[in-house]
Amino acid sequence: MIQISRLSRTDWFGPLLATLIAITVIQGFNDNFLSPFNIQILLLAIAVNALVAFSQMIIIAIGQMNLSVGAIGGLAAISFVGAMEVWGLPAPLAVILALVIGVGCGVLNGALIRITGISAFVITLATLSIFKGINLGITEAQPFYGVPDSVKSFGAALLVGPIPWLAVPTVLVTVAMWFMLRRMPVGRFILAVGSNEHAAGLSGISVGATVIIAHAVSGLLAAIAGVLVVARLQIGQPSIGDDWLILSFAAPVIGGAILAGGHVSVTATLLGVVIVAIITQALVLFSIDPFLVQVVLGAMILAAVGLNKLRARQPVGKGSA
Amino acid sequence: MTIQDINSPPGATGGLSRTRFFLSNEFGLILLIIVFAVIFGLSARGFLSPFNLFTLGRNSAINIMIGLSMMTVIVTGGLNLAVGAMGVSAAMVCGWLIEGLGVPWPLAILGGLAFGAALGFINGWMVVRTGLHSFIITLATMSIFFGAMIFLTRAEAFRDLPAAFSAFGKMKFANYLSPLLLVTLAVAVALAWLYRATLTGREMLAAGASPAAAELSGIRVDRMVILCHMLSGGLAGLAALMLVARNGAAIPSMAGQLGQDWLLPAFLGPVLGGTLLQGGKVSVLGTVLGAFLVTMLSSGLLMLQVGAFWVQTFLGLMLLVAVLLDKARRSYLARRNLA
Repeated sequence: MIQISRLSRTDWFGPLLATLIAITVIQGFNDNFLSPFNIQILLLAIAVNALVAFSQMIIIAIGQMNLSVGAIGGLAAISFVGAMEVWGLPAPLAVILALVIGVGCGVLNGALIRITGISAFVITLATLSIFKGINLGITEAQPFYGVPDSVKSFGAALLVGPIPWLAVPTVLVTVAMWFMLRRMPVGRFILAVGSNEHAAGLSGISVGATVIIAHAVSGLLAAIAGVLVVARLQIGQPSIGDDWLILSFAAPVIGGAILAGGHVSVTATLLGVVIVAIITQALVLFSIDPFLVQVVLGAMILAAVGLNKLRARQPVGKGSA
Repeated sequence: MTIQDINSPPGATGGLSRTRFFLSNEFGLILLIIVFAVIFGLSARGFLSPFNLFTLGRNSAINIMIGLSMMTVIVTGGLNLAVGAMGVSAAMVCGWLIEGLGVPWPLAILGGLAFGAALGFINGWMVVRTGLHSFIITLATMSIFFGAMIFLTRAEAFRDLPAAFSAFGKMKFANYLSPLLLVTLAVAVALAWLYRATLTGREMLAAGASPAAAELSGIRVDRMVILCHMLSGGLAGLAALMLVARNGAAIPSMAGQLGQDWLLPAFLGPVLGGTLLQGGKVSVLGTVLGAFLVTMLSSGLLMLQVGAFWVQTFLGLMLLVAVLLDKARRSYLARRNLA
């Protein structure tokens, strides 16, 4: 009993239970759900969405929000393809360029928030518009088609069984994020700044540097997600990232992240992404209207914040993480 | 500091408040509007033509209304990300009432506005009941409202609206004035009166400035928050109906995916106009001027052929510059002990 009550206090237990129940129920209704092809589709969706969710999660960890995640991802995606098509850059160099742009956008966000002291919401709303505007200004809303075959084959290749190669960067990032937030000083600094900025400053943590690093990581992850979407779609769409906003908040919140900052969980956020992907996929399998996906996503955010609120009322004892 | 100096009449109490007026957002905005009007008038052909003035008035009427809709929620220290989704939903309900049920159009407009207010009630009620920040609540409801609207309408527009709608959108007074602008100005005056002269308005501001203090003074803060959200929903519906009058049809995608296209104009107006995001301070005139300046700049930049695709970058930069200037102004005022 003690074991169970301790488990129920961890962030990942609830989402894991929900994931298992969802998989069992959906598999019971439809045998195709766990077919290799379907698993591959699920993993492709999870691979990109997990990066988008982590990109927002790291900002939630410092108690801020980043509305420009999608805009950074889109800008990185079109500069990745644009550099290969227009300048003829080899793919690895173009990837580095895209990631540098992503980090640059993130640093800009962080520095503006830190220097001006204006709320992250307003700053990232402004930069969202700036990044998206640059994206549209460069592409004039036309896609880039010049994706080389090497990138295309990477996007379509399978590693083992139904596991696509695209999942590899995401797995690496997940491990790196977990390691950073749990084991590295900078990760602990990020959480400390998120839970109490003033106290963190007094304890000798450089709050400014921490905020900027968190935003740089966020930009980097958004850029990786943008590059992966290009590899998957095999085209440089200017509209990449337009629909990331809701999703980027849904997964961390389902994973028990506290929006006030200082408390996030990499595992639970990943499970949040898995739940969203499974439910989206289930709606497709049961041929329920795809338009309803938005409604379900919104309802899930509300349900998750409601549950988190209830969980927070229980006395926090040992074993809570 | 927050409540007393709202819209303090310029020059009423001598030199101190005259200096304050010259340093106010409203004065800065008027100056900027004049400067840009002169620049565009001289450099862009046809900027001051009656036709362009008519379009400018019509577009700014809608943008100002979107800004006012956001402003009413910012007053409580909250946000409403769902303005676009609510507005479009309200307009679609109005279209459905006319085409599906054959309701006469004046009643259908009232129905649409009431529906917007009802959606606002849902937002406000959830914010009050859960105690969560309105950011996350309206983020979720934005997805829910928009998804439900798209599902129910099958993403199809209502095009057979009565001629009165598009006629109103095309109507011109004295060859260049759009009646839509008059509607917006009437709403703005009503809002200014609400915040300055009515008990409800003052209570809304007090609830935004300090919920705890307001609660102790006997103000029903919960009720005020819900009321502000309902007001926001009604105004969002009105903005969308004006858009319908301009387009001649109620189109589900007229505010973009999830209504996100409205977010930037919605925040630009109030933030440029000096409405505090923390709540408790509001400037209706500033919001009107701010939204008008933004509309004028986009129109002027388009006429100068800067490239339609770069306009969004300029608007983003403007928001950034505006908040920076506002910050500088505030610290200047604080240093001189003027505020």
